Amino acid sequence: MAIETLFSDVGAQALGSGLAAIGAGLAVGLAGIGTGVGEQGIGAAAVGATAEDRGMFGLALLFTVLPETVVIFGLVIALLIMFI
Amino acid sequence: MFQPKPMTHLLIAASKEQMASVVTELYRHRVFHITDFVDQGKEGYEGVKLGVPFENAGQLSSDLIKIRSIENVFQTSPGTQFDVPVRPAETIRAAINNELPKIESEVSTLTAKRSNAETKIRECEQRINELKPFALVPVELDLYRGYESLAVYAGYVEKDIDFAFPSEKYFAAGKDGNFLVAFVESANAQEAEKVLSDAGFISVALPTETGTVQAAIDKYNTELVQAKADLADASAKILEAKAKYADLLAACDEVLSCDVERAEAPLRFATTEEAFVLDGWVPYDDVAKIEAGLTQATGGKVYVTVDEDEINYDEVPVEYNNPAFAKPAEVLMDLYARPKFKELDPTIILSIMFPLLFGVIVGDVGYGLIYLALALVGRKLLMRMGEMGAKAFKIILGCGISTVVFGLLYSEIFGLSLPWHSILFSRHLPIGGDHLPQVMDLLVISVAIGVIYLSVGWIFGMINHARMDHKGAHRTKAILGKFGWFAMFWGMLIILFSLIDIGTFIAGITIPLPNLTVIGLPLTIVGAVLFVLGAVFVARENPLDLMEIPTNLLSHMLSFCRIAAVGLSSVAIAMVVNFLAMEFFIGPALADFSVVGVLLIIVGVLVLIIGHALNVVLGVIGGALHPIRLHYVEFFTKFYQGGGVIYKPFGLKRKFSEE
Repeated sequence: MAIETLFSDVGAQALGSGLAAIGAGLAVGLAGIGTGVGEQGIGAAAVGATAEDRGMFGLALLFTVLPETVVIFGLVIALLIMFI
Repeated sequence: MFQPKPMTHLLIAASKEQMASVVTELYRHRVFHITDFVDQGKEGYEGVKLGVPFENAGQLSSDLIKIRSIENVFQTSPGTQFDVPVRPAETIRAAINNELPKIESEVSTLTAKRSNAETKIRECEQRINELKPFALVPVELDLYRGYESLAVYAGYVEKDIDFAFPSEKYFAAGKDGNFLVAFVESANAQEAEKVLSDAGFISVALPTETGTVQAAIDKYNTELVQAKADLADASAKILEAKAKYADLLAACDEVLSCDVERAEAPLRFATTEEAFVLDGWVPYDDVAKIEAGLTQATGGKVYVTVDEDEINYDEVPVEYNNPAFAKPAEVLMDLYARPKFKELDPTIILSIMFPLLFGVIVGDVGYGLIYLALALVGRKLLMRMGEMGAKAFKIILGCGISTVVFGLLYSEIFGLSLPWHSILFSRHLPIGGDHLPQVMDLLVISVAIGVIYLSVGWIFGMINHARMDHKGAHRTKAILGKFGWFAMFWGMLIILFSLIDIGTFIAGITIPLPNLTVIGLPLTIVGAVLFVLGAVFVARENPLDLMEIPTNLLSHMLSFCRIAAVGLSSVAIAMVVNFLAMEFFIGPALADFSVVGVLLIIVGVLVLIIGHALNVVLGVIGGALHPIRLHYVEFFTKFYQGGGVIYKPFGLKRKFSEE
């Protein structure tokens, strides 16, 4: 019964949108992990530098958020998958 | 606008007799930025030495230290005192002379009392802890000492032991270890110690008290209660004294800080035996005022001159010169770095674009009103943080208003739709609204903002190099390098548009985009020429810079997608929260009303409150951090260095006193 539905047109469409949703989830999730890995080292060093010298804050923030672009790209891809 | 305040380099010279009046006059105006004199044998300064502080500096400093130490006891500082009446400085100086010794002795008595009580508490607690194990041994405390032929051991062992000679021993097993007391004849002491050390003996001091153990513990407990009462009493009295003296102390602190700063000012002057020279900067508009003031204060016995030698612009102190509406954004600039004197100051762009982008990203009437409410509630708190807090308040206010405005345009309130269709772009995701979001349009607009930002950034970069670098081949190369990036960027865009009709290529886009494919090949060639030319200019400055092509051209442009993406994620969270609460809890409960239904409604309301509270916080992170990052990383890296000297006029802003 389930297999039959899978091969019908409606089933294929449902399967397609389901896979698209999984893809979108993976795009955001994996990109988020990547960003996290990138930011962990920078963040630790940035906090250290800021603790030493408050004036470093701007530069430290700048360095810390650099890898964040990756997860934004992931989010954009997810949006494209879901809405285009 | 885009420029810091123009500054004039002033040299002030006078005989030493006039030093005090010059210092007082400069301090009063609070516009003169002193360049500290460094004694390094500069040409023309032979035999010139650093000045010495005025005679009373030592006394003033020691008074200030006394005040600070009392403030330390009270845990206050001038920064934590508000709504204090302003008093004449003379009254405060009189108070320092007359009342300070009294306050000081009162406070030191109280602190001594407090620390005595604290010491007593510590001692009692320690004695009680040390006596506790002895309570397990049925021996009175007097019996532990005073023997000539007996050795006494008390302490913890790993396990019970047996002596091979006559002894008296008590063993008590316990959670904290096994306690053992042993009495042996002195003759056997050496052997006993060996047996004990084999059993891992850790000795404890023998008690010095008399009577039963319990009686001794009770005595210490009584003392402990008394000491705790003393401590509470002393702390209460200190609080009382704090309430009485805190604002006077803050005023004294301020007046003394001013006096000390003035008294020590000569340390920053260049002096000879009879005269002194003072080097510094004054905003151009205040020069006449300072000159007139100094002439009057010294009776004309001062020589003030404008130094018009070649200026090292890196040394000029930088004071922002922005219209009132842009002032708050100076906080965001200082967070990054103060601009250099000859550098373009982008504060004004930041002041307009930061709240605007915040609104574009969060864009929700409900959240905007929450931000406004939070700002108004927290206003007093922020105002107490001084100038920076006041600026932060205005920034938050601007962001809140912008969020409400864009909320009206997007037709969004707490993720729900307002009674009208969105005026600008729809961000209503399918789970909540009745129409699809214009995701593609939003992304294209975001990238377009990026294109403008990057172009302006490189143009500013050219201007900055033209203004700041020394004339010569290097400067030309640097300017052309910035132009190279600009040309490559637009070359890339032109090639793209000449090959692909973006408007139809991207599905679901409703913004009309020009179809340049009709021109075709000629345009592609123009783009390619621009690109190659740009690459050559960049490579001429530094070939390694070409490595940055992917990040500088593509990554930085596409990074602006975050404006749309972060905004949509904020909408998505709001809608998911609404969906969860309405469809799973509140909706079913209302349809079939029962006791369980009431519970479901409560849970649903909780989900709504917590979910939206979370989104408000995320909105601050998304709405504030991302635009600021776009400015810092994508925009500023194109032209901005910062690192200018911050303008610090000689003088203190008074809060509690007036001269």
